[in-house]
Amino acid sequence: MRKNPWIYYGKKLLIFVVSIFLLSVIVFYIARLAPGDPLVSYYGERAEKMTAGERAWAEEKLGLHESITVQYGKWLGRAVRGDFGISYKYKMDVLEVIEGRVGNTLLLGGVGFVLIFVLALLLGIWCAWNEERLIDRAICKIGTVTSCIPEFWLSLVLILIFAVELKVLPSSGAYTIGKENDLGDRILHLILPMTVVVLGHLWYYAYLIRNKLLEEVRTDYVLLAKSKGVTGKSVMFRHCVRNIIPTYLSIMAISVPHILGGTYIIETVFSYPGIGTLSYESARYQDYNLLMVICLLSGALVILCNMIAQTINERIDPRMKGPDLTEDAEVIMR
Amino acid sequence: MAAVLELQDLSVQFHTGKEIVQAVRDVSLEVQEGEVLAIVGESGCGKSVLCKSVMKLLPQTAHIAGGRILVDGADITDYREREMEKLRGNVFSMVFQDPMTSLNPTMKIGAQIAEAVRVHEPKIRKAELDGRVLELLGLVGIDRAKERMQQYPGQMSGGMRQRCVLAIALASNPRILFADEPTTALDVTIQSQILELFRNIQKKFRTATILVSHDLSVVAGVADRVAVMYAGKIVEIGTTEEIFYQPKHPYTWCLLQSLPALSKGKEELFTIPGMPPNLAHPPKGDAFACRNPYAVARDYEEEPPMFRVSPTHYAATWLLAEDAPKIMFGRENGKKRVIHQEWKDAEVLLDVRHLNHAFPLSRKLAVKAVDDVSFQLRKGEIFGLVGESGSGKSTVARCIMNLYHKGSGEVYYNGIPLHDRKVYRKMHRQIQQNIQIIFQDSTSSLNPRMKVKDIITEPLVINRIRPKRGTYREEAVFQMKYVGLDESFLDKYPGELSGGQRQRVAIARAVVMEPELLIADEPIASLDVSIQAQIVNLFRHLQEEHGFTFLFIAHDLSMVEYLCDRVGVMYHGKLVEVGLTEDVFAQPKHSYTKRLMESIPLPEPGRKEERRA
Repeated sequence: MRKNPWIYYGKKLLIFVVSIFLLSVIVFYIARLAPGDPLVSYYGERAEKMTAGERAWAEEKLGLHESITVQYGKWLGRAVRGDFGISYKYKMDVLEVIEGRVGNTLLLGGVGFVLIFVLALLLGIWCAWNEERLIDRAICKIGTVTSCIPEFWLSLVLILIFAVELKVLPSSGAYTIGKENDLGDRILHLILPMTVVVLGHLWYYAYLIRNKLLEEVRTDYVLLAKSKGVTGKSVMFRHCVRNIIPTYLSIMAISVPHILGGTYIIETVFSYPGIGTLSYESARYQDYNLLMVICLLSGALVILCNMIAQTINERIDPRMKGPDLTEDAEVIMR
Repeated sequence: MAAVLELQDLSVQFHTGKEIVQAVRDVSLEVQEGEVLAIVGESGCGKSVLCKSVMKLLPQTAHIAGGRILVDGADITDYREREMEKLRGNVFSMVFQDPMTSLNPTMKIGAQIAEAVRVHEPKIRKAELDGRVLELLGLVGIDRAKERMQQYPGQMSGGMRQRCVLAIALASNPRILFADEPTTALDVTIQSQILELFRNIQKKFRTATILVSHDLSVVAGVADRVAVMYAGKIVEIGTTEEIFYQPKHPYTWCLLQSLPALSKGKEELFTIPGMPPNLAHPPKGDAFACRNPYAVARDYEEEPPMFRVSPTHYAATWLLAEDAPKIMFGRENGKKRVIHQEWKDAEVLLDVRHLNHAFPLSRKLAVKAVDDVSFQLRKGEIFGLVGESGSGKSTVARCIMNLYHKGSGEVYYNGIPLHDRKVYRKMHRQIQQNIQIIFQDSTSSLNPRMKVKDIITEPLVINRIRPKRGTYREEAVFQMKYVGLDESFLDKYPGELSGGQRQRVAIARAVVMEPELLIADEPIASLDVSIQAQIVNLFRHLQEEHGFTFLFIAHDLSMVEYLCDRVGVMYHGKLVEVGLTEDVFAQPKHSYTKRLMESIPLPEPGRKEERRA
């Protein structure tokens, strides 16, 4: 009955590889077909003063003179061996550039994600517990409003209040120059962008939890649990919350890219040195090699998260495991 | 002997937006230790609300408007949630109607039972706890309890789940057990097993039990006393024998008469005219007066008090007043049924030959739902297909309707091979017009966002048929009159209708096409007994007037016996017995058919043991 795990995960891996390959092809072509001059990102201002001969030489040096298909073939050949080329702008190996930034993004996005996950769960349970009381209705209203505010606008308002007017928090960057190793300073820099990340998504998930719980509370098994003498609190936590966790986990897994996408914008607004600002720059300055790797990384993350979500769903929920079988149903082999 | 539970003038109200619905009105009763009290009545009469209000499990919109609830003489009327939590499980517990939904689907059976045990004995040790769970599972008749403990509800059958629910209810040795329609969602054979189990356990532990049911025949063999509820009030209460053999209230008469077992061989099933009153505005006087053929003028004016018939028997009707006309209740009345024979020489309309269908579980495994089923239907015949759930009845219907493919076997309709995909594709429009289906659950088979008139005429619109009676609206009105609904329902949505009314709409929708073959897949299973009778009567009328052929799928044998010309019995996907209804019911040949016949509950207390012997 049980599926062979090798085949199961082998299939997933195959899907993963094929998707990444297709993604790389699409990004590669679109980037190169978009208008703009990659030489500007490599040579800066000088590129505009180049003669035709110099340009041709420079293009040949960067391998841009060939047709896109040939370029892609060469890129793929190197990429398979782990060589993703150099960043035009930073004149460094692409992976090194990303390595320097990825920590910041993981910190902002990762901690933000965990905060959203936990806070949404707590807020949702709190609201469901106080269903239709004043506190629940108030939180619902406030939540709807906050989730409607665009992230960039909220960022700007927060900068205006806390950085410009009150001058208590820094407006941009990840640390004050000269204080790279000061943890307190880093945390101070994180507060504003983190607030925006969390506020932007929190309500959406809290509301989901609340409604799922209310649906659950109205089911018959809750009535039975209560009638056997289980207290209201344990019905909520041992039965209802437990039963929505699989759904919640899988939704959260799918939403990783969603939240990450949000941090990209927020990073740009706060000039926070993370992958978000990097991807924005690389797209703007035609830094092809850098753009490719960032896109592939993000894409891999999206696909991975979706697969995790799917696996969670199949694994945790016993209803998904097997069909309803009465013991005397006749089973035939095909 | 002191009463374990006593209700004094209990009233429960629901606040729904503008109105106040008086769901339970001045109910007084008491239950002794070791006694089974049955509460019967149509759905919406407040019997479930009564149970839940004692356990305080009602939604927040409900509140106890008056009266007192006494448990062992202690007043618990004003108990708050925290105090109730201590009583629930320990003093009373409950079994619900639908075992499919009343167990937590993501928690192992053993854990759910253990949870209930722990409420009673919080400090119990793990090993002891396991032992107790095993003991409980054994008590409710689940074998291989060790393995069953580790299973999820989804892996069990309905009957087993109901046994588990019962195990949970018994886990903490409650003094009072509420059973809210515990067998309504189950098959006949399972139903009799569960009722038997109830009886045994009740005898063993002497738990005071309140059994709620809409079906009088179910309670006949189990209950010591019966309370009949109507419109939130108890209209009659007495010992089971008194209620069944000397009923005094006209409503009890009506309930008894609408049981198909009492209409054997009659022209028509007895039905109660009209609808229960709206409890937001309960009528003055006796609530049943307007449906009561024996109502006297006083019934409309003054509410009757509980008249004492015997020390155990009370009834609220003015017929018991000294100056009232003397009317006696007779079990036998009504015209004899004429048996229709014309179909016997008619041509074959539907011919099912060696039908097989299997549902895949995985690539290698499949469950055989239909196994080599063959039968024929002649024009104008009513053919009943019976069997327990999971026996493949519905699958047969769906195969005939071509809703399932991939099976093997042949289905000929008027000589047209329906199993041939090519032929079917070519003729599907014509075939679809001639075969119509009615599903069990009218709540989910009618689109909740469509108005009744649109639902009824939708088949015409889809098939681009011009309505016979001019406009679509007139056609809808005509069809609705036909199934006994008036024009006021035209612009309503299914959600505003009662179960019986919705099923009438579903029937109208099927009949509007004037089909030759009508397939009804458990059309009455989710309805009250009195409404079941109405719908079955309607089927009979329609069949006589339209002359269509009728495939009636049901697990309720007594209705099948009443309605059908021929019966087929299905068991584990096989058609084990086919024959004329009279023959099959009088002399069942297959052992399963015999078992089925024996498990039909009879509305005659005391007769069950006789029949067994």
